Amino acid sequence: MIAENTQTQMRKGILEYCVLSIISRGEIYASDIIAELRSAKLLVVEGTLYPLLTRLKNNGLLSYNWVESTSGPPRKYYTLTEIGKDILSQLDQTWQELAYAVGVSQKGANS
Amino acid sequence: MEKTIIINIGNTIIHIEESAYELLKVYLNEVKQHFANHADDLEIVTDIENRIAELLTEQLEEQKKQVVDSNDVNAVIAQMGRVQDFDAVEENEDEPVINGSYPFHAEKKLYRDMDERIIAGVCAGIAHYINTEAKWIRLAALLTIFMGGAGFLVYAILWIIMPKAKSRIEKMEMKGEPANLQGFQKNLDEELQAVKERLGEVNKQAQPLFARFGIFIGEFFEWLGRFISGTGKIIFKVIAGFIVVFGAFLLLMLIITTAAFQGFWDSSIYEYFPFSIINDGNRGVILFSAFIVLFIPILALVLFSIRVAFNKQAINKTLSFALLIIWLAGVATTGYQAAKISSEFKQHAELSQTVDLKSYSTYIIDIDRSKYFSKEDSIAYHIDASQKNQIVIDDYENGPFVSPNNIRININKSETGATRLTQKNESQGKTFPGALQNAQNISYNYVLKDSAIVFSPRFQLRKGTIWRNQEVWLNLEVPVGTKLILKEDSYRYINNYWAWSCNDHENDHNNYSVWVMTEEGLKCKYDLDHPQENTENQ
Repeated sequence: MIAENTQTQMRKGILEYCVLSIISRGEIYASDIIAELRSAKLLVVEGTLYPLLTRLKNNGLLSYNWVESTSGPPRKYYTLTEIGKDILSQLDQTWQELAYAVGVSQKGANS
Repeated sequence: MEKTIIINIGNTIIHIEESAYELLKVYLNEVKQHFANHADDLEIVTDIENRIAELLTEQLEEQKKQVVDSNDVNAVIAQMGRVQDFDAVEENEDEPVINGSYPFHAEKKLYRDMDERIIAGVCAGIAHYINTEAKWIRLAALLTIFMGGAGFLVYAILWIIMPKAKSRIEKMEMKGEPANLQGFQKNLDEELQAVKERLGEVNKQAQPLFARFGIFIGEFFEWLGRFISGTGKIIFKVIAGFIVVFGAFLLLMLIITTAAFQGFWDSSIYEYFPFSIINDGNRGVILFSAFIVLFIPILALVLFSIRVAFNKQAINKTLSFALLIIWLAGVATTGYQAAKISSEFKQHAELSQTVDLKSYSTYIIDIDRSKYFSKEDSIAYHIDASQKNQIVIDDYENGPFVSPNNIRININKSETGATRLTQKNESQGKTFPGALQNAQNISYNYVLKDSAIVFSPRFQLRKGTIWRNQEVWLNLEVPVGTKLILKEDSYRYINNYWAWSCNDHENDHNNYSVWVMTEEGLKCKYDLDHPQENTENQ
């Protein structure tokens, strides 16, 4: 239970970073984000993504365009805003630090 | 074949089977519920709906079909994930998610469950509301009925107050399944349903109490009808069956008893009280009419029960009419005989016999339990009268059958200074000579042995004498200063003093008490010796 809780916390923090990273590579549709996350073995069900995307959009990190679809309703295609790009670069830096911290914690500073 | 519904989801028209529609609706309700307190709930839910619409459209194209079925919906739900899976990611989110607790309980409403009802579904509804099984509520309700019946009233009130769960949504609300449709603006179908439901809600609130009471009355009689024709019928039949068996047994007993009274086995029963009233000559008539008076109603009850239990007419009309006539004749005869017997209590006669006793300073009053035997009794019991010392001890029975034959003793102050014992025989009779004859037919004796007076507890009636309220009074007059020792056995026969009171004061567990005759009457010697205690007691 405790392990599960920690895992959830870790995944949650990383999920947001990963989503931003995926979107930074170009305009993308929500279900494609899901597909990428699935192949990265980080997800989770589709329903989880929508609240996250909405929150990021409302915080100004993302914007979207409506794109007509051949099947079904028009789709929201997400892109990063300038703020989003800025925050992502900050997160990249944080991730480097974290990866270093984890590496050091596991193997020792002098390895 | 299945009914198909056209839904508008995410601005897409989709044909969907009814069962699949129910599934999808429940799922969307769950989702809606989950994000209800989320800041961007409308947007999130719209996104999800759009995505679902897209997925469903894709599936239809892939499978080249027209209508969405349950499998498709389940596949979509699996892909989107259940709200429980959302929780795993969204918990501890900094977003303003206000609803901390699971929202289902708040949505529960108290309805009567018409699907699982026994009477009106009140118990089942309460069980849904407090999340327990209906049988426990029913058990509790049954217990309250046994405890003074307040449960009936409470049940009736709840019946009036609690609305019926009629629609699907009401049933879901009753069971605590999420059925909240507020804010589902996108879905025309569901919106319409929500509006309808709200209108219904308003009507329900506005329903005046008397209208609800009317509903209650209607339902109550409907239930009563169902009960009598259904469960009740079985219960009545079981009761009727019991009456048939029990009644038949009673009739048999009645025949046996009548035969017994007729003297087939033992005629000595007429020596006992209620039967000793009856004249010898009339016994047959009275017995027969009493038999008819009792037998026919029981027979009628049994026949009626047979009819109820087996749906069969056990007797035709002519015969039942004849039985009624016979019964009335029996009642008339019994009434006539009862009047005749009561007329024999009209006159009263007394017979007194006084004996002067030798003067002693102390008398002992005792009861002799040995039975007085008449000559006939001695012969009947094969007792040889020549064996002088043989005494048969009475079984000393008490109770209503013998108590009318008990003697009564009065103890009074002697005005003349002489000690005197008066035996007074009393009796009723139709005429005075008859009453006097009855009084004379009392056989009673007591024994004087020096200073001891030993009474028989009961008097006997000479053979052939019938009970006409015969009484024997024994009036003992003793001069002032005479000491009386009352044996415990005699207490209950002493009429004008409460003989036990002295024993209570003495409190020494003797089987006798000592009394002294004073100017004011008989006094307990203990009280005289301890006057201060006596006054305290008073």
